[in-house]
Amino acid sequence: MLRLENVLAGYSAVPVLRDVSLSVDAGQFVAVVGPNGAGKTSLFKTISGILQPRQGRITFEGVDLASVPPSGRAHLGIAHVPEGRQVFPSLSVLENLEMGAYTAAGQRDWKHNIERIFTWLPVLAERRAQFAGTLSGGEQQMVAIGRGLASSPKLLMLDEPSMGLAPAIADFIFEKLIEIRRDTGLTILLVEQRVAEALESADHGYVLEAGRVVLEGDNTTLRADDRVRQAYLGM
Amino acid sequence: MTAQMIENILQALAAGLLAGAIYGLMCVGLGLIFGVMRVINFAHGDFMMLGMYAAWFLFGALGIQAVAGSLIGPYIAILLAGPLLFLFGYVVHKALISRVTGTRTAQLDGEGHYAQLILTLGIALVLQNGGMIVFGSELHSIRTPLSSSAWELGPVWGDFISIFVNKSRGIAALFSIATIVVLALMIARSRLGKSLRAAADNPEAATYMGIDVDQAHRIAFALGVGITAIAGGLLATNYPFQPYIGLEYVIVMYAGVVLGGMGSIVGAFWGGMTIGLVQQLSTLILPTQLQNAAIFVVFLLIVFLRPQGFFGRVVERT
Repeated sequence: MLRLENVLAGYSAVPVLRDVSLSVDAGQFVAVVGPNGAGKTSLFKTISGILQPRQGRITFEGVDLASVPPSGRAHLGIAHVPEGRQVFPSLSVLENLEMGAYTAAGQRDWKHNIERIFTWLPVLAERRAQFAGTLSGGEQQMVAIGRGLASSPKLLMLDEPSMGLAPAIADFIFEKLIEIRRDTGLTILLVEQRVAEALESADHGYVLEAGRVVLEGDNTTLRADDRVRQAYLGM
Repeated sequence: MTAQMIENILQALAAGLLAGAIYGLMCVGLGLIFGVMRVINFAHGDFMMLGMYAAWFLFGALGIQAVAGSLIGPYIAILLAGPLLFLFGYVVHKALISRVTGTRTAQLDGEGHYAQLILTLGIALVLQNGGMIVFGSELHSIRTPLSSSAWELGPVWGDFISIFVNKSRGIAALFSIATIVVLALMIARSRLGKSLRAAADNPEAATYMGIDVDQAHRIAFALGVGITAIAGGLLATNYPFQPYIGLEYVIVMYAGVVLGGMGSIVGAFWGGMTIGLVQQLSTLILPTQLQNAAIFVVFLLIVFLRPQGFFGRVVERT
Protein backbone atom coordinates (compact mmCIF):
# COMPACT_ATOMS: atom_id res chain seq x y z
CA MET A 1 0.00 0.00 0.00
CA LEU A 2 2.67 2.46 1.12
CA ARG A 3 6.19 2.06 -0.13
CA LEU A 4 9.29 4.15 0.50
CA GLU A 5 12.33 3.41 -1.64
CA ASN A 6 15.76 4.76 -0.64
CA VAL A 7 14.33 8.05 0.65
CA LEU A 8 16.70 10.84 1.62
CA ALA A 9 15.10 13.89 3.21
CA GLY A 10 15.86 16.63 5.69
CA TYR A 11 15.98 20.29 6.62
CA SER A 12 18.26 22.59 4.59
CA ALA A 13 21.70 20.97 4.32
CA VAL A 14 21.36 18.25 6.92
CA PRO A 15 19.63 15.04 5.90
CA VAL A 16 17.49 13.56 8.66
CA LEU A 17 16.50 10.43 6.74
CA ARG A 18 19.14 8.55 4.80
CA ASP A 19 18.33 5.78 2.39
CA VAL A 20 15.14 4.76 4.16
CA SER A 21 13.14 1.95 2.57
CA LEU A 22 9.95 0.80 4.18
CA SER A 23 6.69 -0.75 3.15
CA VAL A 24 3.25 -1.15 4.63
CA ASP A 25 0.86 -3.68 3.09
CA ALA A 26 -2.91 -3.42 3.23
CA GLY A 27 -4.24 -4.60 6.58
CA GLN A 28 -0.82 -4.56 8.22
CA PHE A 29 0.07 -2.92 11.52
CA VAL A 30 3.62 -1.62 11.19
CA ALA A 31 5.59 0.02 13.98
CA VAL A 32 8.64 2.24 13.61
CA VAL A 33 10.66 2.51 16.78
CA GLY A 34 13.86 4.24 17.69
CA PRO A 35 15.40 6.80 20.02
CA ASN A 36 14.70 10.52 20.12
CA GLY A 37 16.04 12.32 17.06
CA ALA A 38 16.19 9.17 14.96
CA GLY A 39 14.01 10.83 12.31
CA LYS A 40 10.69 9.16 13.10
CA THR A 41 8.62 12.36 12.94
CA SER A 42 10.54 13.51 9.86
CA LEU A 43 9.65 10.20 8.26
CA PHE A 44 5.95 10.96 8.77
CA LYS A 45 6.33 14.55 7.59
CA THR A 46 8.00 13.27 4.45
CA ILE A 47 5.14 10.88 3.78
CA SER A 48 2.66 13.75 4.35
CA GLY A 49 4.61 16.09 2.10
CA ILE A 50 5.63 18.71 4.67
CA LEU A 51 9.23 17.64 3.98
CA GLN A 52 10.30 16.98 0.41
CA PRO A 53 12.43 13.90 -0.25
CA ARG A 54 15.62 14.84 -2.09
CA GLN A 55 16.21 11.32 -3.32
CA GLY A 56 14.13 8.20 -3.53
CA ARG A 57 10.50 7.55 -4.17
CA ILE A 58 7.33 7.30 -2.10
CA THR A 59 4.29 5.59 -3.56
CA PHE A 60 0.84 5.07 -2.11
CA GLU A 61 -1.31 2.45 -3.85
CA GLY A 62 0.95 2.81 -6.86
CA VAL A 63 0.65 6.61 -7.03
CA ASP A 64 3.96 8.45 -6.90
CA LEU A 65 3.47 10.98 -4.08
CA ALA A 66 5.91 13.42 -5.71
CA SER A 67 3.01 14.40 -7.97
CA VAL A 68 0.53 14.87 -5.09
CA PRO A 69 0.60 18.16 -3.12
CA PRO A 70 0.68 17.82 0.69
CA SER A 71 -2.99 18.77 1.02
CA GLY A 72 -3.92 16.16 -1.59
CA ARG A 73 -2.55 13.24 0.38
CA ALA A 74 -5.43 13.11 2.86
CA HIS A 75 -7.75 12.76 -0.11
CA LEU A 76 -5.84 9.65 -1.24
CA GLY A 77 -6.66 8.03 2.09
CA ILE A 78 -3.65 8.86 4.26
CA ALA A 79 -4.61 10.11 7.73
CA HIS A 80 -1.79 11.63 9.75
CA VAL A 81 -2.29 11.90 13.51
CA PRO A 82 0.62 14.21 14.26
CA GLU A 83 3.10 14.27 17.10
CA GLY A 84 1.91 16.42 19.99
CA ARG A 85 -1.73 15.97 18.88
CA GLN A 86 -2.06 19.36 17.13
CA VAL A 87 -5.81 19.61 17.56
CA PHE A 88 -7.47 22.85 16.41
CA PRO A 89 -7.71 24.59 19.80
CA SER A 90 -10.37 27.18 18.93
CA LEU A 91 -12.64 24.67 17.22
CA SER A 92 -15.04 22.51 19.20
CA VAL A 93 -14.42 18.78 19.49
CA LEU A 94 -17.17 18.11 16.95
CA GLU A 95 -15.72 20.70 14.54
CA ASN A 96 -12.31 19.07 14.88
CA LEU A 97 -13.88 15.77 13.85
CA GLU A 98 -15.68 17.52 10.98
CA MET A 99 -12.33 18.83 9.75
CA GLY A 100 -11.08 15.25 9.87
CA ALA A 101 -13.97 14.44 7.55
CA TYR A 102 -12.86 17.11 5.06
CA THR A 103 -12.11 14.42 2.47
CA ALA A 104 -14.81 13.16 0.10
CA ALA A 105 -14.68 9.72 1.73
CA GLY A 106 -14.99 11.29 5.17
CA GLN A 107 -18.06 13.27 4.15
CA ARG A 108 -19.68 10.27 2.53
CA ASP A 109 -19.22 8.10 5.63
CA TRP A 110 -19.70 10.88 8.21
CA LYS A 111 -22.79 9.47 9.96
CA HIS A 112 -21.38 5.98 10.21
CA ASN A 113 -17.91 7.18 11.27
CA ILE A 114 -19.06 9.60 13.93
CA GLU A 115 -21.22 6.92 15.50
CA ARG A 116 -18.30 4.51 15.67
CA ILE A 117 -15.87 7.17 16.92
CA PHE A 118 -18.26 8.07 19.74
CA THR A 119 -18.62 4.37 20.61
CA TRP A 120 -14.86 3.84 20.82
CA LEU A 121 -14.16 7.15 22.51
CA PRO A 122 -17.33 8.11 24.42
CA VAL A 123 -15.58 11.02 26.11
CA LEU A 124 -15.58 12.82 22.74
CA ALA A 125 -19.37 12.60 22.60
CA GLU A 126 -19.59 14.10 26.09
CA ARG A 127 -17.26 16.94 25.18
CA ARG A 128 -18.41 17.52 21.62
CA ALA A 129 -19.30 21.20 22.18
CA GLN A 130 -16.15 22.04 24.15
CA PHE A 131 -13.19 23.87 22.58
CA ALA A 132 -10.51 21.29 21.87
CA GLY A 133 -7.86 23.60 23.35
CA THR A 134 -9.46 23.27 26.80
CA LEU A 135 -9.19 19.47 26.95
CA SER A 136 -6.57 17.44 28.81
CA GLY A 137 -3.68 15.91 26.90
CA GLY A 138 -5.25 12.46 26.82
CA GLU A 139 -8.56 13.84 25.58
CA GLN A 140 -6.78 15.88 22.92
CA GLN A 141 -5.04 12.70 21.78
CA MET A 142 -8.44 11.06 21.46
CA VAL A 143 -9.64 14.04 19.41
CA ALA A 144 -6.59 13.70 17.17
CA ILE A 145 -7.20 9.98 16.68
CA GLY A 146 -10.93 10.53 16.13
CA ARG A 147 -10.12 13.25 13.63
CA GLY A 148 -7.88 10.83 11.75
CA LEU A 149 -10.56 8.13 11.73
CA ALA A 150 -13.23 10.58 10.55
CA SER A 151 -11.52 10.82 7.16
CA SER A 152 -12.31 7.15 6.42
CA PRO A 153 -8.60 6.54 5.86
CA LYS A 154 -7.01 3.60 4.10
CA LEU A 155 -3.84 4.17 6.12
CA LEU A 156 -3.77 5.64 9.62
CA MET A 157 -0.39 7.11 10.59
CA LEU A 158 0.05 7.68 14.32
CA ASP A 159 3.02 9.71 15.55
CA GLU A 160 3.73 8.90 19.19
CA PRO A 161 0.19 8.79 20.52
CA SER A 162 1.53 8.21 24.03
CA MET A 163 3.77 11.29 24.10
CA GLY A 164 3.41 13.42 27.21
CA LEU A 165 0.62 11.31 28.67
CA ALA A 166 0.41 9.68 32.08
CA PRO A 167 1.18 5.94 31.81
CA ALA A 168 -2.39 4.92 32.62
CA ILE A 169 -3.78 7.22 29.90
CA ALA A 170 -1.15 6.02 27.43
CA ASP A 171 -2.17 2.41 28.17
CA PHE A 172 -5.80 3.34 27.60
CA ILE A 173 -4.96 4.94 24.23
CA PHE A 174 -3.05 1.81 23.21
CA GLU A 175 -5.92 -0.46 24.17
CA LYS A 176 -8.27 1.71 22.14
CA LEU A 177 -6.01 1.52 19.10
CA ILE A 178 -5.95 -2.27 19.34
CA GLU A 179 -9.74 -2.31 19.74
CA ILE A 180 -10.19 -0.02 16.73
CA ARG A 181 -7.91 -2.16 14.63
CA ARG A 182 -9.70 -5.32 15.70
CA ASP A 183 -13.05 -3.79 14.75
CA THR A 184 -11.98 -2.33 11.42
CA GLY A 185 -8.89 -4.16 10.16
CA LEU A 186 -7.46 -0.71 9.41
CA THR A 187 -3.90 -0.45 8.09
CA ILE A 188 -1.78 1.36 10.68
CA LEU A 189 1.69 2.86 10.65
CA LEU A 190 2.78 3.72 14.16
CA VAL A 191 5.79 5.62 15.44
CA GLU A 192 6.40 5.06 19.11
CA GLN A 193 8.95 5.38 21.84
CA ARG A 194 7.16 2.87 24.03
CA VAL A 195 8.93 0.12 22.17
CA ALA A 196 7.63 -2.87 24.14
CA GLU A 197 3.97 -2.03 23.60
CA ALA A 198 4.50 -0.99 20.00
CA LEU A 199 6.29 -4.20 19.04
CA GLU A 200 3.85 -6.34 20.95
CA SER A 201 0.82 -5.13 19.02
CA ALA A 202 2.40 -4.63 15.60
CA ASP A 203 2.80 -7.29 12.88
CA HIS A 204 5.98 -5.85 11.53
CA GLY A 205 8.56 -3.40 12.84
CA TYR A 206 11.40 -1.16 11.77
CA VAL A 207 14.13 0.19 14.02
CA LEU A 208 15.27 3.65 12.97
CA GLU A 209 18.53 5.07 14.31
CA ALA A 210 20.18 8.30 13.15
CA GLY A 211 17.97 8.41 10.09
CA ARG A 212 18.66 4.88 8.89
CA VAL A 213 16.72 1.66 9.15
CA VAL A 214 19.08 -0.51 11.17
CA LEU A 215 16.78 -3.44 11.63
CA GLU A 216 13.47 -4.72 10.38
CA GLY A 217 11.41 -7.82 10.79
CA ASP A 218 8.20 -9.29 12.04
CA ASN A 219 7.02 -9.02 15.58
CA THR A 220 8.69 -12.17 16.95
CA THR A 221 12.01 -11.66 15.16
CA LEU A 222 12.39 -8.15 16.49
CA ARG A 223 11.44 -9.03 20.01
CA ALA A 224 13.94 -11.87 19.99
CA ASP A 225 16.76 -9.72 18.61
CA ASP A 226 19.50 -9.12 21.17
CA ARG A 227 20.09 -5.52 20.20
CA VAL A 228 16.41 -4.65 20.51
CA ARG A 229 16.15 -6.51 23.81
CA GLN A 230 19.12 -4.65 25.28
CA ALA A 231 18.57 -1.18 23.88
CA TYR A 232 14.79 -0.87 23.96
CA LEU A 233 13.23 -3.57 26.04
CA GLY A 234 15.68 -3.38 28.93
CA MET A 235 16.29 -7.12 29.05
CA MET B 1 -27.14 68.78 33.76
CA THR B 2 -29.34 70.64 31.37
CA ALA B 3 -31.57 69.03 28.79
CA GLN B 4 -29.34 70.53 26.13
CA MET B 5 -26.27 68.73 27.48
CA ILE B 6 -28.09 65.42 27.71
CA GLU B 7 -29.28 65.86 24.19
CA ASN B 8 -25.74 66.58 22.99
CA ILE B 9 -24.41 63.49 24.71
CA LEU B 10 -27.14 61.27 23.29
CA GLN B 11 -26.65 62.77 19.85
CA ALA B 12 -22.89 62.08 20.01
CA LEU B 13 -23.60 58.56 21.24
CA ALA B 14 -25.89 57.94 18.27
CA ALA B 15 -23.29 59.36 15.87
CA GLY B 16 -20.67 57.15 17.49
CA LEU B 17 -22.77 54.00 17.10
CA LEU B 18 -23.43 54.82 13.45
CA ALA B 19 -19.79 55.51 12.65
CA GLY B 20 -18.72 52.56 14.80
CA ALA B 21 -20.88 50.10 12.87
CA ILE B 22 -19.04 50.97 9.65
CA TYR B 23 -15.61 51.08 11.28
CA GLY B 24 -16.49 47.69 12.75
CA LEU B 25 -17.10 46.28 9.29
CA MET B 26 -13.78 47.66 7.99
CA CYS B 27 -11.97 46.18 10.97
CA VAL B 28 -13.64 42.80 10.44
CA GLY B 29 -12.23 42.74 6.90
CA LEU B 30 -8.72 43.46 8.12
CA GLY B 31 -9.12 41.21 11.16
CA LEU B 32 -10.17 38.27 9.00
CA ILE B 33 -6.99 38.58 6.95
CA PHE B 34 -4.79 38.95 9.98
CA GLY B 35 -6.58 36.21 11.90
CA VAL B 36 -6.25 33.58 9.20
CA MET B 37 -2.97 34.56 7.52
CA ARG B 38 -1.06 36.44 10.24
CA VAL B 39 -0.16 38.97 7.58
CA ILE B 40 -0.15 42.69 8.29
CA ASN B 41 -1.80 44.25 5.25
CA PHE B 42 -0.79 47.89 4.95
CA ALA B 43 -2.70 48.21 1.69
CA HIS B 44 -6.04 47.52 3.32
CA GLY B 45 -7.14 51.16 3.39
CA ASP B 46 -6.34 51.40 -0.30
CA PHE B 47 -8.38 48.32 -1.11
CA MET B 48 -11.19 50.13 0.68
CA MET B 49 -10.56 53.17 -1.53
CA LEU B 50 -10.92 50.93 -4.59
CA GLY B 51 -14.17 49.63 -3.15
CA MET B 52 -15.43 53.21 -2.88
CA TYR B 53 -14.56 53.93 -6.50
CA ALA B 54 -16.02 50.62 -7.62
CA ALA B 55 -19.34 51.40 -5.93
CA TRP B 56 -19.24 54.97 -7.28
CA PHE B 57 -18.61 53.84 -10.87
CA LEU B 58 -21.20 51.07 -10.68
CA PHE B 59 -23.76 53.52 -9.35
CA GLY B 60 -23.09 56.40 -11.72
CA ALA B 61 -21.13 55.67 -14.88
CA LEU B 62 -22.19 52.02 -15.19
CA GLY B 63 -25.87 52.79 -14.95
CA ILE B 64 -27.19 51.32 -11.72
CA GLN B 65 -28.65 54.70 -10.85
CA ALA B 66 -30.48 54.75 -14.18
CA VAL B 67 -31.85 51.22 -13.68
CA ALA B 68 -32.57 51.02 -9.97
CA GLY B 69 -33.08 54.67 -9.10
CA SER B 70 -31.17 56.81 -6.65
CA LEU B 71 -32.87 55.42 -3.56
CA ILE B 72 -31.86 51.75 -3.61
CA GLY B 73 -29.31 52.11 -6.44
CA PRO B 74 -26.42 53.06 -4.12
CA TYR B 75 -26.92 49.99 -1.96
CA ILE B 76 -27.04 47.66 -4.97
CA ALA B 77 -23.82 49.22 -6.24
CA ILE B 78 -22.18 48.81 -2.83
CA LEU B 79 -23.30 45.20 -2.60
CA LEU B 80 -21.80 44.52 -6.04
CA ALA B 81 -18.54 46.27 -5.16
CA GLY B 82 -17.99 43.52 -2.56
CA PRO B 83 -17.70 40.58 -5.01
CA LEU B 84 -15.78 42.77 -7.46
CA LEU B 85 -13.12 43.56 -4.88
CA PHE B 86 -13.24 39.94 -3.71
CA LEU B 87 -12.05 39.01 -7.19
CA PHE B 88 -9.42 41.73 -7.12
CA GLY B 89 -8.16 40.54 -3.73
CA TYR B 90 -8.12 36.95 -5.00
CA VAL B 91 -5.94 37.92 -7.96
CA VAL B 92 -3.61 40.10 -5.86
CA HIS B 93 -3.14 37.22 -3.43
CA LYS B 94 -2.49 34.72 -6.19
CA ALA B 95 -0.07 36.96 -8.09
CA LEU B 96 1.76 38.67 -5.23
CA ILE B 97 0.83 37.97 -1.61
CA SER B 98 1.07 34.18 -1.90
CA ARG B 99 4.74 34.54 -2.85
CA VAL B 100 5.65 35.69 0.65
CA THR B 101 2.98 34.02 2.81
CA GLY B 102 1.55 30.63 3.70
CA THR B 103 3.51 27.49 3.01
CA ARG B 104 6.24 29.41 1.19
CA THR B 105 7.32 31.36 4.27
CA ALA B 106 9.43 28.51 5.60
CA GLN B 107 12.18 29.41 3.14
CA LEU B 108 12.11 33.17 3.87
CA ASP B 109 13.87 35.35 6.45
CA GLY B 110 11.81 36.13 9.56
CA GLU B 111 9.05 33.80 8.31
CA GLY B 112 8.43 36.21 5.47
CA HIS B 113 7.31 39.12 7.67
CA TYR B 114 9.84 41.57 6.20
CA ALA B 115 8.83 40.69 2.68
CA GLN B 116 5.14 40.97 3.64
CA LEU B 117 5.61 44.46 5.10
CA ILE B 118 7.47 45.71 2.07
CA LEU B 119 5.08 44.08 -0.38
CA THR B 120 1.85 45.36 1.19
CA LEU B 121 3.36 48.83 1.64
CA GLY B 122 4.37 48.74 -2.01
CA ILE B 123 0.87 47.71 -3.07
CA ALA B 124 -0.50 50.59 -0.97
CA LEU B 125 1.74 53.12 -2.74
CA VAL B 126 0.89 51.74 -6.18
CA LEU B 127 -2.84 51.87 -5.46
CA GLN B 128 -2.71 55.40 -4.01
CA ASN B 129 -0.69 56.89 -6.82
CA GLY B 130 -2.32 54.74 -9.48
CA GLY B 131 -5.65 55.95 -8.13
CA MET B 132 -4.46 59.52 -8.43
CA ILE B 133 -3.48 58.98 -12.07
CA VAL B 134 -6.65 57.13 -13.03
CA PHE B 135 -9.31 58.84 -10.91
CA GLY B 136 -7.77 62.26 -10.28
CA SER B 137 -7.77 64.19 -7.03
CA GLU B 138 -11.35 65.40 -7.27
CA LEU B 139 -13.57 64.57 -4.31
CA HIS B 140 -16.47 62.22 -5.01
CA SER B 141 -19.29 60.76 -3.01
CA ILE B 142 -22.17 58.42 -3.65
CA ARG B 143 -25.13 60.75 -3.38
CA THR B 144 -28.35 59.45 -2.00
CA PRO B 145 -31.44 61.56 -1.28
CA LEU B 146 -31.52 59.93 2.14
CA SER B 147 -28.48 61.82 3.35
CA SER B 148 -30.46 65.03 3.56
CA SER B 149 -33.23 63.64 5.75
CA ALA B 150 -33.32 62.25 9.25
CA TRP B 151 -35.37 60.16 11.59
CA GLU B 152 -36.32 61.84 14.79
CA LEU B 153 -36.11 59.59 17.84
CA GLY B 154 -38.17 61.04 20.59
CA PRO B 155 -39.07 63.40 21.97
CA VAL B 156 -38.02 61.54 25.11
CA TRP B 157 -38.31 62.91 28.66
CA GLY B 158 -41.11 65.31 28.04
CA ASP B 159 -40.70 67.53 25.06
CA PHE B 160 -37.13 68.55 25.60
CA ILE B 161 -34.86 65.91 24.15
CA SER B 162 -34.93 64.24 20.78
CA ILE B 163 -32.19 62.62 18.74
CA PHE B 164 -31.85 62.94 14.99
CA VAL B 165 -30.46 60.03 12.99
CA ASN B 166 -29.45 60.79 9.45
CA LYS B 167 -31.28 58.27 7.27
CA SER B 168 -28.38 57.36 5.01
CA ARG B 169 -26.07 56.87 8.00
CA GLY B 170 -28.70 54.81 9.75
CA ILE B 171 -29.17 52.57 6.75
CA ALA B 172 -25.41 52.29 6.25
CA ALA B 173 -25.06 51.11 9.85
CA LEU B 174 -27.84 48.53 9.46
CA PHE B 175 -26.37 47.35 6.16
CA SER B 176 -22.99 47.02 7.84
CA ILE B 177 -24.35 45.01 10.75
CA ALA B 178 -26.29 42.72 8.40
CA THR B 179 -23.07 42.07 6.45
CA ILE B 180 -21.23 41.20 9.65
CA VAL B 181 -23.98 38.83 10.77
CA VAL B 182 -23.90 37.00 7.42
CA LEU B 183 -20.10 36.77 7.54
CA ALA B 184 -20.05 35.65 11.17
CA LEU B 185 -22.60 32.90 10.47
CA MET B 186 -20.59 31.82 7.44
CA ILE B 187 -17.37 31.61 9.48
CA ALA B 188 -19.07 29.84 12.38
CA ARG B 189 -21.29 27.36 10.56
CA SER B 190 -20.17 26.62 7.01
CA ARG B 191 -17.60 24.05 6.02
CA LEU B 192 -15.59 26.80 4.32
CA GLY B 193 -15.68 28.94 7.47
CA LYS B 194 -14.58 26.04 9.63
CA SER B 195 -11.75 25.20 7.26
CA LEU B 196 -10.57 28.84 7.42
CA ARG B 197 -10.54 28.66 11.22
CA ALA B 198 -8.71 25.33 11.13
CA ALA B 199 -6.10 26.77 8.76
CA ALA B 200 -5.69 29.73 11.13
CA ASP B 201 -5.38 27.53 14.21
CA ASN B 202 -2.80 25.14 12.85
CA PRO B 203 -1.80 25.29 9.19
CA GLU B 204 0.22 22.08 9.34
CA ALA B 205 -2.56 20.00 10.89
CA ALA B 206 -5.03 21.59 8.45
CA THR B 207 -2.86 20.30 5.61
CA TYR B 208 -3.05 16.81 7.13
CA MET B 209 -6.86 17.11 6.97
CA GLY B 210 -6.65 17.76 3.24
CA ILE B 211 -7.22 21.52 3.49
CA ASP B 212 -5.21 23.49 0.93
CA VAL B 213 -3.87 26.17 3.27
CA ASP B 214 -2.73 28.53 0.51
CA GLN B 215 -6.18 28.38 -1.03
CA ALA B 216 -7.76 29.03 2.39
CA HIS B 217 -5.50 32.08 2.75
CA ARG B 218 -6.51 33.29 -0.69
CA ILE B 219 -10.19 33.08 0.20
CA ALA B 220 -9.66 34.79 3.55
CA PHE B 221 -7.68 37.58 1.90
CA ALA B 222 -10.26 38.08 -0.85
CA LEU B 223 -13.13 37.98 1.67
CA GLY B 224 -11.36 40.54 3.86
CA VAL B 225 -10.86 42.84 0.89
CA GLY B 226 -14.47 42.40 -0.29
CA ILE B 227 -15.89 43.08 3.18
CA THR B 228 -13.84 46.24 3.58
CA ALA B 229 -14.89 47.36 0.08
CA ILE B 230 -18.52 47.18 1.22
CA ALA B 231 -17.62 49.23 4.31
CA GLY B 232 -15.92 51.75 2.00
CA GLY B 233 -18.98 52.00 -0.21
CA LEU B 234 -21.20 52.60 2.81
CA LEU B 235 -18.82 55.28 4.06
CA ALA B 236 -18.88 56.91 0.63
CA THR B 237 -22.62 57.57 0.93
CA ASN B 238 -21.82 60.01 3.75
CA TYR B 239 -18.26 61.20 3.28
CA PRO B 240 -16.50 62.43 0.15
CA PHE B 241 -13.44 60.45 -0.88
CA GLN B 242 -10.30 60.76 -3.02
CA PRO B 243 -7.46 58.31 -3.83
CA TYR B 244 -5.55 58.95 -0.59
CA ILE B 245 -8.47 58.25 1.73
CA GLY B 246 -7.05 54.83 2.60
CA LEU B 247 -4.30 56.43 4.67
CA GLU B 248 -6.83 58.03 7.01
CA TYR B 249 -8.71 54.82 7.61
CA VAL B 250 -5.95 52.23 7.73
CA ILE B 251 -5.00 53.75 11.09
CA VAL B 252 -8.57 53.47 12.35
CA MET B 253 -8.67 49.88 11.14
CA TYR B 254 -5.42 48.88 12.82
CA ALA B 255 -6.41 50.55 16.07
CA GLY B 256 -9.73 48.69 15.95
CA VAL B 257 -8.18 45.30 15.21
CA VAL B 258 -5.59 45.66 17.97
CA LEU B 259 -8.22 46.91 20.42
CA GLY B 260 -10.45 43.96 19.67
CA GLY B 261 -7.62 41.47 20.02
CA MET B 262 -5.49 40.43 17.07
CA GLY B 263 -7.02 37.39 15.42
CA SER B 264 -10.54 37.70 16.79
CA ILE B 265 -13.19 38.62 14.23
CA VAL B 266 -15.89 39.47 16.76
CA GLY B 267 -13.25 41.45 18.61
CA ALA B 268 -12.41 43.41 15.46
CA PHE B 269 -16.03 44.52 15.18
CA TRP B 270 -16.18 45.74 18.80
CA GLY B 271 -12.78 47.37 18.36
CA GLY B 272 -14.09 49.33 15.38
CA MET B 273 -17.25 50.19 17.30
CA THR B 274 -15.15 51.50 20.20
CA ILE B 275 -13.14 53.68 17.84
CA GLY B 276 -16.35 55.15 16.41
CA LEU B 277 -17.75 55.90 19.87
CA VAL B 278 -14.52 57.42 21.18
CA GLN B 279 -14.18 59.54 18.07
CA GLN B 280 -17.70 60.95 18.26
CA LEU B 281 -17.94 61.32 22.04
CA SER B 282 -14.61 63.13 22.13
CA THR B 283 -16.19 65.95 20.10
CA LEU B 284 -18.17 66.83 23.22
CA ILE B 285 -15.07 68.00 25.03
CA LEU B 286 -12.36 68.31 22.38
CA PRO B 287 -12.09 70.27 19.16
CA THR B 288 -12.83 68.16 16.06
CA GLN B 289 -9.20 68.21 14.93
CA LEU B 290 -8.29 66.22 18.02
CA GLN B 291 -10.68 63.32 17.29
CA ASN B 292 -7.85 61.07 16.16
CA ALA B 293 -5.74 62.07 19.16
CA ALA B 294 -8.58 60.85 21.39
CA ILE B 295 -8.59 57.52 19.56
CA PHE B 296 -4.91 57.08 20.25
CA VAL B 297 -5.18 58.00 23.90
CA VAL B 298 -7.78 55.27 24.40
CA PHE B 299 -5.72 52.94 22.27
CA LEU B 300 -2.62 53.49 24.40
CA LEU B 301 -4.65 53.00 27.58
CA ILE B 302 -5.90 49.66 26.34
CA VAL B 303 -2.47 48.57 25.21
CA PHE B 304 -1.21 49.36 28.72
CA LEU B 305 -4.06 47.75 30.59
CA ARG B 306 -5.07 44.86 28.37
CA PRO B 307 -2.43 44.30 25.68
CA GLN B 308 -4.16 41.23 24.26
CA GLY B 309 -7.22 43.37 23.38
CA PHE B 310 -10.84 42.83 24.38
CA PHE B 311 -11.22 39.39 22.85
CA GLY B 312 -7.60 38.38 22.38
CA ARG B 313 -6.23 35.08 23.49
CA VAL B 314 -3.43 35.43 25.99
CA VAL B 315 -1.78 32.31 24.69
CA GLU B 316 -0.57 32.55 21.12
CA ARG B 317 -1.08 29.62 18.82
CA THR B 318 1.78 27.15 18.72
